[in-house]
Amino acid sequence: MKRPALALILGAFLLSAACSTGGGTTSVAGTPKVGGTLKIALESELRTLDPLKSSQRVERQVYYNMYDSLVTIDASLKIKPGLATSWQYTDPTTLQFTLHKGVKFHDGTDFNADAVKFNIDRILSAASSPRKSELASVKSVEVKDSSTVVFHLKKPDAALLAQLVDRAGMILSPAAIVKGGADFALNPIGAGTGPFTFVEWKRDDHLTLKKNPNYWVPGRPYLDQLIYRPITDSNAALAALRTGDIDIAGTNAIADKDIASVKSDASLVYKDTPGLSFEGFEVNSGSGIFADKAKRQAVALALDRAQILKNVFFDLHTLSRGPIPPTSWAFDPSERIYTTADVSKAKSMATGFAFNLKTPNTPGSIQEATLIKDQLSKAGITATIQVEEFGQILTEASSHKFDAALVGWSGRIDPDGNMFGWFHTGGGFNDGQYSNPQVDTLLEQARVASDQATRKPLYDRAQQILVEDVAYVFIGHGPAQEIASAKVHNFSLIADSIDRFAEVWKG
Amino acid sequence: MLQYLVRRLALMVPVAFLVSVAVFSLIHLTPVDPAELILGEERSPEAVIALRHELGLDRPLPDQYVTWISHALRGDLGRSIRTNQPVTKAILERLPATLELGTAALAWSVLLAIPLGTIAALRRGSPIDVLATGFTIAGVSVPNFFIGILLILVLSVDLRLFPPGGYTPLTESIPDNLHRLVLPAITLGTVTTAINTRFTRSSMLEVLRQDYIRTARAKGASWRQVIVGHALKNALIPVVTVVGIQVGAILEGALVTETIFSWPGVGKLAIDSIFGRDYPIIQGIVLMIAFSFMLANLAVDLAYAWLDPRISYA
Repeated sequence: MKRPALALILGAFLLSAACSTGGGTTSVAGTPKVGGTLKIALESELRTLDPLKSSQRVERQVYYNMYDSLVTIDASLKIKPGLATSWQYTDPTTLQFTLHKGVKFHDGTDFNADAVKFNIDRILSAASSPRKSELASVKSVEVKDSSTVVFHLKKPDAALLAQLVDRAGMILSPAAIVKGGADFALNPIGAGTGPFTFVEWKRDDHLTLKKNPNYWVPGRPYLDQLIYRPITDSNAALAALRTGDIDIAGTNAIADKDIASVKSDASLVYKDTPGLSFEGFEVNSGSGIFADKAKRQAVALALDRAQILKNVFFDLHTLSRGPIPPTSWAFDPSERIYTTADVSKAKSMATGFAFNLKTPNTPGSIQEATLIKDQLSKAGITATIQVEEFGQILTEASSHKFDAALVGWSGRIDPDGNMFGWFHTGGGFNDGQYSNPQVDTLLEQARVASDQATRKPLYDRAQQILVEDVAYVFIGHGPAQEIASAKVHNFSLIADSIDRFAEVWKG
Repeated sequence: MLQYLVRRLALMVPVAFLVSVAVFSLIHLTPVDPAELILGEERSPEAVIALRHELGLDRPLPDQYVTWISHALRGDLGRSIRTNQPVTKAILERLPATLELGTAALAWSVLLAIPLGTIAALRRGSPIDVLATGFTIAGVSVPNFFIGILLILVLSVDLRLFPPGGYTPLTESIPDNLHRLVLPAITLGTVTTAINTRFTRSSMLEVLRQDYIRTARAKGASWRQVIVGHALKNALIPVVTVVGIQVGAILEGALVTETIFSWPGVGKLAIDSIFGRDYPIIQGIVLMIAFSFMLANLAVDLAYAWLDPRISYA
């Protein structure tokens, strides 16, 4: 009795959904409209509003709209001026920034070289901050005059500028930090210089930013107010988007399985571009079954990545051949091994062995692991799925107690950020204990090289070795997405999947 | 009576202490390091060690417990290890939303279940009885996350009658607050409504067979007097017991319901804190739940005395 009734309800729902897709226009260019409130869904609640302590991608979604960094990026990931108008290396270990004059923090105090020094010193003295390792190459910061600041480096670091695009380069008001004290991370009143100023944060409910009328970019922002709401349930986020309860959902706020219904709804806009992340699984090449390279290669060869991308990620993710996504200048497009499944070749490398695959307890990950298990069984490889809480997997992975684990990386702008920590011997995120002196040398050389032309061939070679060695089993690169109401205009999609709203207006 | 009350209230302290020891031991048994969880994918070994030290997690467990309990006895439950927010503040700022949702869910479950169960018992075998029984079976067997999603799809997305989630404080707008309350309250209250209906029905059926009901009827008491004054009052004793226990069930259901409807209450805080191994917050919430359970049970015991004059605590 229950089943027909349910079918009837679902049928009625589908029918009415189909009928409601008649109207609506897609985003058109026009005269920007000033004013209005933009309501944004976040995939989860933030933990902190202090970039010093931030460790979640979702936190950056809010930060970029209230804090400015020394430098920023354009859609092609090229570094552009931010709070710094220009910069130059006076020698390989001295980086000098010229700062914007006349910029004020939201609390009315001046943005200047002293503020930059205060913020960088704050990071360098915070041992527990993830920012500290991002600025590991910085020895000290010197104030030359109020609008000139010099970074003295321990050694050359080609990735430093890209790090300063993100949280490590966000400059907050020293006065606001001191005034905020222990509660600063919860209530950062007046701390930014960005297009929007912090108003209030009602945890688990909403976070409000309002227009900064004195923003240093003239005429921006267009919107009066941003209201962020954490909606962890994808169904609920989609429902809120459909009913107009929210206007835009950040990357990951809507599950891949629901994107098809977003695309078919004319009142909504869907756009994506390959992001900077990589996903697949870590293999422990330092100890256990996968210390044997042939076994890692057999696994990499037996996998049908295209099938995983189709069935688990609904063809929204890009096939991955290595740590660098196709959006990056360092991407190596040359044909590589393991792009297509080759079961017989896999068997010739190694067969008849078993390993444990640690899998986070989310439906998507379990589905992915099941498919991996199925594909590998065709090559005589037995993957035992161990479903665990993500936190437990992190703890075990960093103490190297695993064979393989479905753990990915959210990605960084500079190729160094997707490789050095993960694959350099003893790197901060090198759970799999991968170690290859040749890769170490290439990554070190690429880090100290000054220009892209020199770095590119080094990264190409490093990628080839990492893929050949199966330092990680790469499967896909996740997309950066725009999932919005058709009323949202002038949104620019950047591969780092951060939503920047200074240029956005609502029609 | 007063002595009884004092004794019951005094008993709460050792119970709360035992609960806190049990919870503290249990959450530390799981092989998850909160410092690793906080740093997530950016967990370089140096940062993890430094953060563990900052949070005091590198100290021996008994040591950590003694520090916590000695502060707790002075009314200081510490600060969240994830957000650094004071625990008491974190719970208190979310409590109104949960209290409102829980009260609404419990209220509609009692207000619907008692009349429905009574009518079903009085008209045994009639269509309304079949309907009520069908509802109780469906209500207890369908999980509330499913009910929640179904309500959102049909009443919110499709018919646009209610917002799909979110919360407006009562102080901001009463109509908007109530508008947003309807769907989560129905979702949260369905299971308890079903259980209460069933209990009322069966308890009522049993009471109606008693001699004193026949006697009351024979005396010529009106139908209303017999049902409301004699039958229902006696039939409610087991129902009150169940409702008391349901205070806990409601808090438990709030974990899921608040997540689905983005309701900024204690349930959602509990879920996030459990997944984030935010020990101080979990401890605080468990203590709060333990006390509300004990208070609800005390209220139930006191209600017995009112419902049944034979029971006395004097």
